[in-house]
Amino acid sequence: MPTIKYLSPEWTAEAEKRLRSQLTPDQMKNLTSSMLTVYNNCPDGKDRALYYKLENGVFTDISIREVPFPEAEFVISGDYETFAKISRAELGSRSALMGGKLRLQGNMVKALSLASIVDRFNKILSEIECEY
Amino acid sequence: MMTNDPYFIDFPGRIKSIQREMAADGVDVYLGSRLRTLSWTTDAFCPWRTYIVIPAQGLPTVFTFVIDAARVADESWLDFDHVLGFAPMGGQDQITAVSDLIKSYLKDGKGVVGVEAGMSNYLPEGNLTHYEYEAFAAAMPGAKLVNALDIVDRLSMIKDEGTINRFRKAGLMADAGHEAVLKAIKNGGFAKFTETEIAGIAAMAMREAGSTWEWSFTGGNEIASGYRTGLMGGACTPPTDRKLQAGEPLMVDLHSTYRLGLGDHTHNYLLAPATERQQWHAKNFVDLVALCLKTYKPGITPSTLADEMMVFCEERGFAEFMVPGFEHGIGMLGDEWRIGRNDGPFPYWTNPDHVYQKGEMLICAIQYACPEENIGFRYENAILITEDGCETMSKFPLAIEVIE
Repeated sequence: MPTIKYLSPEWTAEAEKRLRSQLTPDQMKNLTSSMLTVYNNCPDGKDRALYYKLENGVFTDISIREVPFPEAEFVISGDYETFAKISRAELGSRSALMGGKLRLQGNMVKALSLASIVDRFNKILSEIECEY
Repeated sequence: MMTNDPYFIDFPGRIKSIQREMAADGVDVYLGSRLRTLSWTTDAFCPWRTYIVIPAQGLPTVFTFVIDAARVADESWLDFDHVLGFAPMGGQDQITAVSDLIKSYLKDGKGVVGVEAGMSNYLPEGNLTHYEYEAFAAAMPGAKLVNALDIVDRLSMIKDEGTINRFRKAGLMADAGHEAVLKAIKNGGFAKFTETEIAGIAAMAMREAGSTWEWSFTGGNEIASGYRTGLMGGACTPPTDRKLQAGEPLMVDLHSTYRLGLGDHTHNYLLAPATERQQWHAKNFVDLVALCLKTYKPGITPSTLADEMMVFCEERGFAEFMVPGFEHGIGMLGDEWRIGRNDGPFPYWTNPDHVYQKGEMLICAIQYACPEENIGFRYENAILITEDGCETMSKFPLAIEVIE
């Protein structure tokens, strides 16, 4: 598979395809929620966000957004480079969060209960070969 | 909760009353952090650092340590979206999480934020720390932080029926503890026990009666025997492993909790044989307590009451054994320090000229100590100031019995 660019339309399409095919509503605990991952200081200097919307465990929207970002139940934000390090397995996502490199907004108690689900789909996304 | 519940408290109404006072005082957002404020507004026990953010209108939001947030939400009248956890993570630490919410209520991040600052003799009071104050100020540069704790203090002074009923129930639970202790110590039974065991016997009986905690931060049930009852000014006696002994006094100070209402009652005994001198001390004390309870009514103040009681003590020749104070404050869990508002000559202490009104509650608290003779007594009982007197929450009969 040719290498694609991280957060490009091709990468988003591949992410959507993999998430839909590899995660059943059951594995997603029939979750209804929305999440925004905000990448600050992308290589072109812009801020971008990856928006996920789930209804009853089914991804109904996975898209790259630019400012103004949509509202979401959970927002994780950080530098593009931090996310790139996480994707390259150079930095753990928990460690980034605990160290303040990533910032989470949303109900922490709910977030705890969703942590394993987010881990599941982050693992799938990290398996997409791409360049940063 | 049904409104025919005798223990019902209108918590949404309390929030609205705070919001009215905020508007009158020019406070845009109230940031509560004291345990008494949290109990009074959430109806949940908040043992970890907790904040409540009250906007000008609408529901408040509670922030507590994430490990306890779900339990607090479960016990509170607030839903899970209004009880949030904080944790040491980016965006989720308490300063960021709380200040982000407050800023969302302020126009352009500007406005007045009422905080709870000051000092207390009660360690778990929960005033904002210096660090928290500076960190919140830095996180909300457009906000002016002002001390606004008087809002909750003045609103919580007169007790509503649900609160009073919770105290009545807690008082009866303390009585159950006293009955269990009396049963255990009589007929020479006392010789088998230590102070900690007496505390445990009372705790078991109170728990069986429905009490959820021996609430006091002063060591739970405070039990003292022998010389420990007579420590000068000693109104704090966490139990020790000291064995109860014949010929000594025993002080049993029990703390029960019912839905954040607090029972606090002390009963005293003389473990036989009792000398005439010990019984003289005991009679002094019982007569003083009876007089004090008869004197509490609307219109008196802590200082006028103390003057009147000390005259009696002087006339009877035992003034030297008295702590010249006859009360401490009480309210829902966390409120056990000063009486009334912060309006006395010494900041954050009871105002000696505070005028009691109908509907106030306090602990009638009397301490008698004669260290030279290794004897002392304590009386505590939550009382409600009524139309023309006071109602005691604990009904255990006033006496100092000689236990054979």
